Amino acid sequence: MHSPDFHNCSDHCGENPTVWDLPGLPQSLKREWLTAETRRHFLGRGVKALGAAGLATLLGRSAPHLLAADAPAPAAGLDLRPHFAPKAKRAIYLFMAGAPSQFETWDYKPALAPMFDKDLPESVRGGQVLTGMTASQARLPVAPSLYKFAQHGKSGTWVSELLPHTAKVVDDLCVIKSLHTEAINHEPAILSITTGNMFPGKPSLGAWLSYGLGAINDELPTFVVMTSKMPVRTNVQALSNRLWSSGFLSPEHAAVSLRSGADPVLYLNNPTGIDGEVRRAMIDGVNSLNSDLFNRVGDPEINARIAQYEMAFRMQTSVPELTDFSDEPASTWELYGPKAKEPGTYAYNCLMARRLAERGVRFSQVFLRTWDNHSQLPERIKIMCGDSDQATAALITDLKQRGMLDDTLVVWGGEFGRTVYSQGTLTPTNYGRDHHPRCFSMWMAGGGVKPGISYGETDDFSYNIVKDPVHIRDLHATIFNQFGIDHNRLSFKFQGLDQKLTGVLPSRVINEILA
Amino acid sequence: MKSWPNFLRCPAWSALCAFGALATFVRGEDSFYAQRVAPILDKNCVVCHGAKKQKGDLRLDSFAELVKGGKNGAVVKAGDPKDSELYVRVTLHPEDEDFMPADSKPPLKPAEVKVLELWIAAGADDRTPASAVKGAPALAAPKAPTPALTADWQPRRAEIAALEKTLGIRLVPRSRLGTDGLVLRTASAPGLCDDATLAKLAPVADLIVEAELARTKVTDAGLAALATFVELRTLDLTRTAVTSTGVAKLVTLKKLESLNLTATAVDEAGIAPLKSLPALKQTWLFGTKVGAAAP
Ligand code: HEC
Repeated sequence: MHSPDFHNCSDHCGENPTVWDLPGLPQSLKREWLTAETRRHFLGRGVKALGAAGLATLLGRSAPHLLAADAPAPAAGLDLRPHFAPKAKRAIYLFMAGAPSQFETWDYKPALAPMFDKDLPESVRGGQVLTGMTASQARLPVAPSLYKFAQHGKSGTWVSELLPHTAKVVDDLCVIKSLHTEAINHEPAILSITTGNMFPGKPSLGAWLSYGLGAINDELPTFVVMTSKMPVRTNVQALSNRLWSSGFLSPEHAAVSLRSGADPVLYLNNPTGIDGEVRRAMIDGVNSLNSDLFNRVGDPEINARIAQYEMAFRMQTSVPELTDFSDEPASTWELYGPKAKEPGTYAYNCLMARRLAERGVRFSQVFLRTWDNHSQLPERIKIMCGDSDQATAALITDLKQRGMLDDTLVVWGGEFGRTVYSQGTLTPTNYGRDHHPRCFSMWMAGGGVKPGISYGETDDFSYNIVKDPVHIRDLHATIFNQFGIDHNRLSFKFQGLDQKLTGVLPSRVINEILA
Repeated sequence: MKSWPNFLRCPAWSALCAFGALATFVRGEDSFYAQRVAPILDKNCVVCHGAKKQKGDLRLDSFAELVKGGKNGAVVKAGDPKDSELYVRVTLHPEDEDFMPADSKPPLKPAEVKVLELWIAAGADDRTPASAVKGAPALAAPKAPTPALTADWQPRRAEIAALEKTLGIRLVPRSRLGTDGLVLRTASAPGLCDDATLAKLAPVADLIVEAELARTKVTDAGLAALATFVELRTLDLTRTAVTSTGVAKLVTLKKLESLNLTATAVDEAGIAPLKSLPALKQTWLFGTKVGAAAP
């Protein structure tokens, strides 16, 4: 097969060129461009058949390769079936960006107390390469946690005194102390844990879920992110939309970012003088232009754009109701604390996450930054915990009392752990901690995860894992599993590969923590 | 497999072949060889020692081939595992160049080695019944098939799609297993789902295992219709106008496991009759007159 010449494009009789007409591109690449299954279907039907009603069904409904094996094309509305019956319908991911120290939160290390200011034994470090921030330090002095731990709940889980509220719901949590990752710096580590890959451009967990399972509520986005006001103003990590992008999946699977303030979704409100009818007419006009363009060039991104206009239009009705907290009972404010009334705080976002879950948003991710306590850790981590502890616990309590914890998976954690040795000067009241990818703590709750257990163990220095390691790929496989997805069977063809969230390296579902 | 289609076209051949296969199958079915040994060889050895490749001139894809041995003769000596090439090769150090499976393929599991040993010790034949060989490691219990929750919805696709379209609700399969049932989903437009909707869903009620009715317009009248949805396992009535009168009608839902009545006007009287429901594990009563203490 030869590539038709740009100037003699045969199949369009002198119309504008299509992707088929581009010179020097292999046929296979052109075909890839036009593959996404629904899009082909869409092409077959012809654009004219696609009225506004048809557009609605496009959104969040593209057929993933979830069904690869059993494929007579299912009727509309009956696609997007999980591989097996799910335990979780939705998830809320509380992302502690910057990496909270495990020593002051979940990984109790009493044996460190007598080691204060002693050098970290070389045998523990095992020659690990350190970051540029501490590699030049003359000493690596052990810094035990300044904060005390106590056992809580029927499970007797050890919890730091910095988390008094979370300690009260500890019997609902499954604490994993043996997470590990490869990346030692924030950006690759955050990308790894949000998208399964250190390199930008891969779809994030929420985008995969949107692609694999579609929407529960078509009036709201399937995947929502919220970034929270920062309690501390040092060591701020940038959060970019790479962390919630759709990567090579169709753009409609990317998260919609909810902002604090009068405009939770930017540009959603009609400007003065424009009413709903005018807006509808405008969107119809834009859509028909986009449809024409799609007809000519076949780029699936155009359809995604059409779908996004439609989503935005629907959100004009659904979002005001969502963000109007006036229907919350007084008990809500007691539970989440007064800060929940202030848009943009972590507490507000936790409450919003519950409201999103109630309305069927599949995946909400709340980001809280500035856990990156390289110096003055005791003071700063206290602020961080103080800012978030009550709301985190409130979310668990609230989901539980409303009967939603059973099918909502809640995940709490950062992108890596922190070092046992002090970064900078160690004093009896002050120290810092550097990045540490070899082990860190997270917890999960609800969504079919065993409540009231701890999993995995680290050595006395919380430096190496000694029992039941959990790679972040295993975490991803486990989250998928709770949604009824076999992580090996949800894929998307891109660049000649069947791309998966968990990639090609070994990963497993942590069955031991599943109820 | 090129000859396969032809093969099928010739009835005499296929009958013969079917008969032959059946005959060995029946004879060897209960033997230790067929039940325990052959699966291990099939899984680990036949890629190199089968119809396609005969490394070392050895085939292990049937008992008849196995006893023929390889280029150095017999590979099993009845009663003597230590003097049987087949056993020796799998018990060498994995880095030994004679180790089998070759080419750094994963070694046999200790339990599998044990099975080969017992088999050779017991005579290395294909007649000894599985039950006669003592001490063989237990087989992993076969995975129990997922029990069917409902009839298969798949033959009723058209009917389901039509209801979705006219009623503005969704009927979502719980999984790709047709007998896992459907979820009645209303989150996109809870306002469209009312008592009449539920009545119209009666024809597919036998397929619905879960009804998400939070924030819908369903009232006590609708619960009378819902009382015939006897396959329901999970029912969410959060923030609906239902009262104790309606909820008491749900006593027919013998399979109901979870009932969410959050933020409804239900009181003690409404839930008392439900205590008789055999499968009911959880009732959520936050924000009702029953008080916060959910059982
Ligand atoms: C990757 C290919 C491969 C696999 C898989 C493999 N073999 Fe072999 N096998 C060979 C090759 C090549 C030879 C011939 C070279 C040699 O004798 O080592 C051989 C030879 C043998 C022989 C010696 C035959 C003779 O008469 O010399 C025995 C016995 C044997 N294999 C047993 C097994 C068993 C049992 C398994 C499964 C547990 C197995 N092999 C799996 C490649 C393989």
